[in-house]
Amino acid sequence: MYSLLFKSFFRTRIFLISLVLLITVGVISILIGKQYLVKQEKAILAAQEFQQKSIERNLDYHNDDLGLLLYYLRFTLIKQPSNIGAISIGQSDVNPLLQAVTIRGLEGQKYDTDFENPSLLMSGNLDLGFVIIYLFPLVLIAMTFNLYSEEKELGTWRILTAQTSGKAKFLLKKLGIRILFVFAILIFLLLLANGVLSIPMNENFWAIFLQSILYVFFWSSLCLFVVSFRKNSSFNALALISIWVVLTVLIPAMVNNYVLNTYQVPEALEAMVEQRDGYHEKWDMEKDATMTGFFEAYPQYKGYTVPEEEFSWIWYYGMQHMGDLAAEETSNEMMEKVMLRNTVSEKVALFIPTMHAQLSFNSVAGTDMIGHLEFLKGLKEFHEGLRVNFYPKVFDNNPADSVDWQNHAAKFYKPTSYVNWVYILMPTLFIVVIMGTLALLNLRKL
Amino acid sequence: MRKNVIYLLARQLWKDAFRSKVMHVALGLMVFLLVFSAYTGWENYHDQNFTRTGIQEEVQESWENNPDKHPHRMAHYGSFALRLKHVLSVFDLGMENFVGNAIFLEAHKQNTVNFSEASMSTGLLRFGEVSLAMLLKVIVPLLIFYLGFAAIARERENGTLKLLIGQGIRRKEIVFGKWLGLFGLSLIFLFSIFLLVLFFVLIESHNGMFQDNVSRYAVLLISYVLFFAILSTITILVSAFSITAKGALVKLLGIWLLFVIIVPKSLQAMGYYLYPTPSKIEMETAVEHDLIQQGDSHNPDDPHFKALKDSVLLVYKVEKVEDLPFSYSGFIMAQGEKLSTEIYKDHQERLYQVYQQQNNLERYSAFVNPYTAIKNLSMAFSGTDFKSFLYFKSKAETYRYNLAQEMNQLQMDLIPNKGKEGPNVISNNYWKEFPPFKYDLLSVSKVFQNEKISIFALLLWGVVAFYGLLRISTNLKAI
Repeated sequence: MYSLLFKSFFRTRIFLISLVLLITVGVISILIGKQYLVKQEKAILAAQEFQQKSIERNLDYHNDDLGLLLYYLRFTLIKQPSNIGAISIGQSDVNPLLQAVTIRGLEGQKYDTDFENPSLLMSGNLDLGFVIIYLFPLVLIAMTFNLYSEEKELGTWRILTAQTSGKAKFLLKKLGIRILFVFAILIFLLLLANGVLSIPMNENFWAIFLQSILYVFFWSSLCLFVVSFRKNSSFNALALISIWVVLTVLIPAMVNNYVLNTYQVPEALEAMVEQRDGYHEKWDMEKDATMTGFFEAYPQYKGYTVPEEEFSWIWYYGMQHMGDLAAEETSNEMMEKVMLRNTVSEKVALFIPTMHAQLSFNSVAGTDMIGHLEFLKGLKEFHEGLRVNFYPKVFDNNPADSVDWQNHAAKFYKPTSYVNWVYILMPTLFIVVIMGTLALLNLRKL
Repeated sequence: MRKNVIYLLARQLWKDAFRSKVMHVALGLMVFLLVFSAYTGWENYHDQNFTRTGIQEEVQESWENNPDKHPHRMAHYGSFALRLKHVLSVFDLGMENFVGNAIFLEAHKQNTVNFSEASMSTGLLRFGEVSLAMLLKVIVPLLIFYLGFAAIARERENGTLKLLIGQGIRRKEIVFGKWLGLFGLSLIFLFSIFLLVLFFVLIESHNGMFQDNVSRYAVLLISYVLFFAILSTITILVSAFSITAKGALVKLLGIWLLFVIIVPKSLQAMGYYLYPTPSKIEMETAVEHDLIQQGDSHNPDDPHFKALKDSVLLVYKVEKVEDLPFSYSGFIMAQGEKLSTEIYKDHQERLYQVYQQQNNLERYSAFVNPYTAIKNLSMAFSGTDFKSFLYFKSKAETYRYNLAQEMNQLQMDLIPNKGKEGPNVISNNYWKEFPPFKYDLLSVSKVFQNEKISIFALLLWGVVAFYGLLRISTNLKAI
């Protein structure tokens, strides 16, 4: 029985088309992932070299004035890339991989973007995640929409019912073979990606692996559900493609529109202006206007005297820091808004497997919004560390030699990652069970 | 061809369509989506522009309220440029959410345009956005296919095609009648959306924008009408050449998936793969490298600036810079700004050329994929394409450059040279005299130039489609 079903399946045109389509696009997507990793590596190397060279060169010019030297020097914090990001590039093309900052006000530096072609950003990356989320369902639909109706329309159904004991069982077997084939390709591509992109076989990889499997199960159960109504082929094709459009295009896009409009972030622009004004206005004020606030934030420097009539670096960097303080509240509000966008999206996604697959892929791969916000937090700490390290030396008017510049190579930020298995797997599993049960109940009436 | 027969057939297709469940579901869905996208599109346009105009005014106010000070301090104080949305962004969002919205303009440095919506969004953004144009580009084509796949194929399956021909109706009349009916159906969606857009255009076209906006609107309308005519043709052609209605549907669905989802994205990805771009840090390194090669103003022994100094001293017939009649440091900064701006522009230009190469792969595919043609055209005429963004960016950069150079000029003219006595600050009246940042939109003629390929491709498609319709009508098989 099975061997015959296999044979008849292998002879169909759709089998060949699916095989070629999925393998080709799948391999392309893995190559694109590879290129993404190479680009990251190049950027990191360039950043490391840039930092070293720029320290060397500026040391030549401003060796006697550490305050001035630090006005120019930029220190790089790099988000440690993980290879699994190449499977689901997510938001990591919009958000920069690294940030090179001076010890001046951070707020004016931390949102600087990297260069990326907006046309590409708009069309999105063709990564393996995309292939799994968009193309696998299509192939499943193409292979199953006439699971029953084809037999009916060709007139073979009556013969079959006469020859087999369980009609539902026959359909399930037929479906099983098709699902098995899709799973074989899926697992092949995931393992290929694992090898080509040198992704460690850790928790994160298995999370993406299992989520993909569940996701394909979801579409299989959905297809079975639609087929179980035993409509004709045209109706099934129309219905399934419409469902696909609603789940992968319309609902996510509408949720996105809703989230962007409901949680607008004018704070981003406000903070930008506040930072500049908070810093610049201090030039025209008494020195105390700066120093009081600065000493409140850093009481350990209270011992330094600030000359009233002339320029001093403690006053200058104090003013810079006041800019950040002026924008701090608005900036925090902005971060909260962005987090809110994320929370709301994730909540809605619990009910929509396509959205959930995308968001959980990104989250596991560390390419989501939260990953970037964490990096920005890390950047703030990094910046603070630099300042507190340099402040006393600058305020004491130490020469540049007093700093051990060997310690100031580009630094890496290591993202914390943990996999929340319940959050990742439960929603889809739940929907699969419901959908599968409904389909089977429908089939019993056969 | 007899007109009344064609109209009769077209009307029949309408009647059948309105009787079918697909049409009811489609109409209901479309009304909902239309209201949703019009509302969110308008809300977004209105709120964003309101915020940005407010901040732009605030920025100008604080600029003017600065007290007397050294002009170079004002050059560092700088300004901001905020990008405003075109009213037609309510129709087509285009790249709107993927490009930055605000840029800090200061001396010595070209900043990036920051705070794109994309940079503050979750991964959901990649599923796309709903806009009125998206409905016309993505959803309505699918509906046209749904409504038209059976047009001829089912008549043949049922044997009614044979009857029609037997009754003396010509093949040409059947094909054109069906085509007209389907095209007419698609125009219901088209006109309801464009009517809404017309309303937005009219209420938002003040300050001499009227003519420009209306011509953009007219081009969009004509393009979409042509696009739908082409889609209706494709549907009828496929239906006419398929043995069964089911076959026609499967083919059309395949065409839709391929042309709307898979091909554009794959080509864009391929362009990215073929033409790699440098990261920002790599470009900055290159810019700095070139700058040092050309002349390093920090280096006291730099040959470029040494030669510059010597020539200035020679012209003014003085021995040392302190004897010059203007502030020499202002002069050096003006020269440095000029040099660094040129070098930066040069690198940026090269980067944009690579982007163009990346995009061209998809752009030229308009000749095989009409969706690409309408996509690019629609964005461009809605003022939401990359070129419109670059136009804003170049205006902002010009403003930045002028601001920095104006402050340098003030420094040269009014701040005493090194070693001379005199005030170190100038009156704040000079800030008030510097005009605020304003920018207009890319002119329609420029947009036409940018979209030559898309327009040509769409027209070509129109011709080919019409020819195809004429051809099959004579070859239509009755059984």
